[in-house]
Amino acid sequence: MKERQFPRARLDCLSREFGEEVLVYDLQRDVGHCLNSTAAAIWKLCDGNNSPSQITRAFSRQLSARVDESVVRLALDQLANANLLVEPKVPVEYLSRRVAVRRIGLAAAIALPLVTSIVAPMPAQAASCSHNGQPCANNAMCCSGVCVPVLGHCLGG
Amino acid sequence: MKKLDRLDWAEGLTLSTFGVRAGVRVNVLGVLPRVLPLLPPGWKKSHRVIVERLYSLVMAQGCERAGVRRLHVLYADSTRIARDAALNRVLATLETDLHRYTAEATSDMTFLHAGVVGWQGSAIMFPGRSLSGKTTLVREMLRLGATYYSDEFAVVDSSGLVHPFARPLGIREDSSYAQTKYSAEELGATSGVKPLPMGMAVICKYEAGAQWQPAPLSQGQGALELLANSVAVRSQPDQTLRRLQKLVRHTVFIQGTRGEAHQAAASILNLSCAHK
Repeated sequence: MKERQFPRARLDCLSREFGEEVLVYDLQRDVGHCLNSTAAAIWKLCDGNNSPSQITRAFSRQLSARVDESVVRLALDQLANANLLVEPKVPVEYLSRRVAVRRIGLAAAIALPLVTSIVAPMPAQAASCSHNGQPCANNAMCCSGVCVPVLGHCLGG
Repeated sequence: MKKLDRLDWAEGLTLSTFGVRAGVRVNVLGVLPRVLPLLPPGWKKSHRVIVERLYSLVMAQGCERAGVRRLHVLYADSTRIARDAALNRVLATLETDLHRYTAEATSDMTFLHAGVVGWQGSAIMFPGRSLSGKTTLVREMLRLGATYYSDEFAVVDSSGLVHPFARPLGIREDSSYAQTKYSAEELGATSGVKPLPMGMAVICKYEAGAQWQPAPLSQGQGALELLANSVAVRSQPDQTLRRLQKLVRHTVFIQGTRGEAHQAAASILNLSCAHK
């Protein structure tokens, strides 16, 4: 029961390190995420056994500097929003970026956690599309997203 | 498919490109030579009979009659993907679909939707969707002496090197959507042959009158931008991530909004030199 209450990183995602950042690919949702160094370090500490306070202490030890718990709660909030944590049975109270920034102040010694996300493109989206009047077989082929089946041409775009 | 197979096919071709085998067949003699220039750069004839994707081009035949439009029809396997009276539009669809299919189906390479030029032994890449101005920027780079690699796909191998996909540049003139094709040589440039490491990736969008003031982008954020332009990331996510990791090892990422291409192109080449 305790394991389910604390933040736990999803293990069914692909991840690769790019310098200090980590790129995570969510195979279920086909979404890519870039975790900056702070978010990545905190994500790695989410093993389901540690509370946000314990994660804060572990993170402080890694950095050899005192880290405010608001930073960890902000990271957890972003990681949860990006669906990178296993849904806890008992919701953990996270912190919004605005509240965290207010608490941490501008003098924080580390980068604020940041998770950036993109939806992976469908193959047709990652290639040049057809324009108005050009032949098409389905909506995905057209820049406008509208293929008129009767005409077999893209409409608009 | 069986109905299609029963038609009388006059000529055909099996080709291999980036490890993908495709076939093209036509019901009228003499059309195939018009198809050859549209095939992916570096394609080779294959002697295998079984292909992964088969294009069947059924040409309109017979005399025109009042009130009856004779249409050319193109099928990819059994799906009709074009039906048009103008053969050039049907052939353009064949080209687009075959390139897209190759980009999606190959596991030999990872295809990113991007323009690429070679500059002093490194590749400069411009990832972006349709109408983001990739070709315009590539053309301007060529004018300044860069080597042409691609205006559509960056082709990345397992070591993270960028290979040429030097199809003719599709230039949209007079703000129209119709493209005119020019080879790099017709534009006074040369096409690259050797694979290159990526030196710089430029994430930019066009805005009329904007001043080009690029800002640096972190490696992770840059890689995420490339991921957003990876053709087969949904079907080959692990391979795509691995190759991106190798691709961006020594890459400088910049992003910004550009105005006219000639200003941005000169600045990008200068920045690329400064980072070497």
